[in-house]
Amino acid sequence: MRKLRKFEYAAPRSLAEAVALLREQTGETSLLAGGTDLLVTMKQGKLTPQYVIDIKDIPGLDSLTYDPQGGLRIGPLVTMQQLVTCLSVQQHFPLLSEGALATAVPQIRNRATVAGNLCNASPAADMAPPLIAAGASLKLIGPQGERMVPVEGFFTAPFATVLEEDEILAEIAVPSLPRGSGSCYQWLPKTTVVDETLVGAAVVITLDRDGACQDARIGLGSVAPTPLRARQAEEVLRGHRVVNGTVEEAARVAAGESVPRSRAEYRREMVQVMVEEALRRAVERAQQA
Amino acid sequence: MKQPITFTVNGEVHQLEVETHKTLLDTLREDLCLTGAKEGCDAGDCGVCTIILDGRAVNPCLILAVEARGKEITTIEGLAQGEQLHPLQEAFIQHGAVQCGFCSPGMILTAKALLADNPQPTAQEVKQAMAGNLCRCTGYESIVQAILGAAPQLAGR
Repeated sequence: MRKLRKFEYAAPRSLAEAVALLREQTGETSLLAGGTDLLVTMKQGKLTPQYVIDIKDIPGLDSLTYDPQGGLRIGPLVTMQQLVTCLSVQQHFPLLSEGALATAVPQIRNRATVAGNLCNASPAADMAPPLIAAGASLKLIGPQGERMVPVEGFFTAPFATVLEEDEILAEIAVPSLPRGSGSCYQWLPKTTVVDETLVGAAVVITLDRDGACQDARIGLGSVAPTPLRARQAEEVLRGHRVVNGTVEEAARVAAGESVPRSRAEYRREMVQVMVEEALRRAVERAQQA
Repeated sequence: MKQPITFTVNGEVHQLEVETHKTLLDTLREDLCLTGAKEGCDAGDCGVCTIILDGRAVNPCLILAVEARGKEITTIEGLAQGEQLHPLQEAFIQHGAVQCGFCSPGMILTAKALLADNPQPTAQEVKQAMAGNLCRCTGYESIVQAILGAAPQLAGR
């Protein structure tokens, strides 16, 4: 790997200061949190920022809180490892702990942030399908103020998002899952490229008292230019009893909604397998709830 | 641009001026002459550069030196007390878990961080914790056994 080229470095003490810096700089500017994507991209020469703005000196951004009414609030400096070990996340949003574990290298999890995973916007981003399935929203802060964007609307193309040049992802808000919900993230890693996900499927399913599916949300990763929501597959489940036939049908439909670029046939087959596994596990958890 | 930073390495406070584009790995190796942390992939995939930063195993190849200001770092050089090896180092030797030795500093530090967090890990937990450290020589089994062997000795400390 080549050595990094020189850049100006700043470590603002507030989000307002960070936004102001983003606004002021005329040259290419990058935000630095965990650095596990940014530094690799810079070493590969794909990105050569003239300014690097480190947000780790801003207090309060590493906050991870849960309450049954407000749901889960994930600050932009919360690391993958925090999602893995936090008991509230394991208990109430297991699909998020599982999404974080898909980054299998502890050294990376200790630095990589959930927000950074979303902003890097790889089509294979492991936090995207779980957050889509969980119905999360993102708070973006810029010179004009704040705006909320649903996660499923955040990604526009591979490695591209709706973030303006002077905006920062300030919080990830995950509503509490309704009563009778279960969730799961299942994924298949690539064996060719280190640790990247080949197919990822995240499910949140809500059962009513009779065991019928009240709601279902399915997020898929690495099978389209952006992480996507498998709405047609969800429709197969909504309002119906969850039996083998419906699960298999939903998985088949989800595979049909996928538009993988490479290894397409295998990926579509694996969407079916992953969605089925995720659905079964999510239903199990919903029934235990 | 240069920035003055202060951080602690193996209990010793260091004050230096570093270029903001220099990685922590290069700073440890070149400015502090602590060459135990190796450069392998330089991209956070192989783990040979692993150090412990504020109690957590990390890859300094993906950390700028300036990001380490105010932090506490442990490198492999900080484990032995004079001639007295750390239990993990002893265990690695006893179990034949060191062949060429290139991955060993990273392996031992990741293991140290694991055992501080989880003093009685299962073999499965050891393997998961060590997923970020590659070895081309041993086939990993001796490394897992060495860590499981060292665990009871460290639990007492």
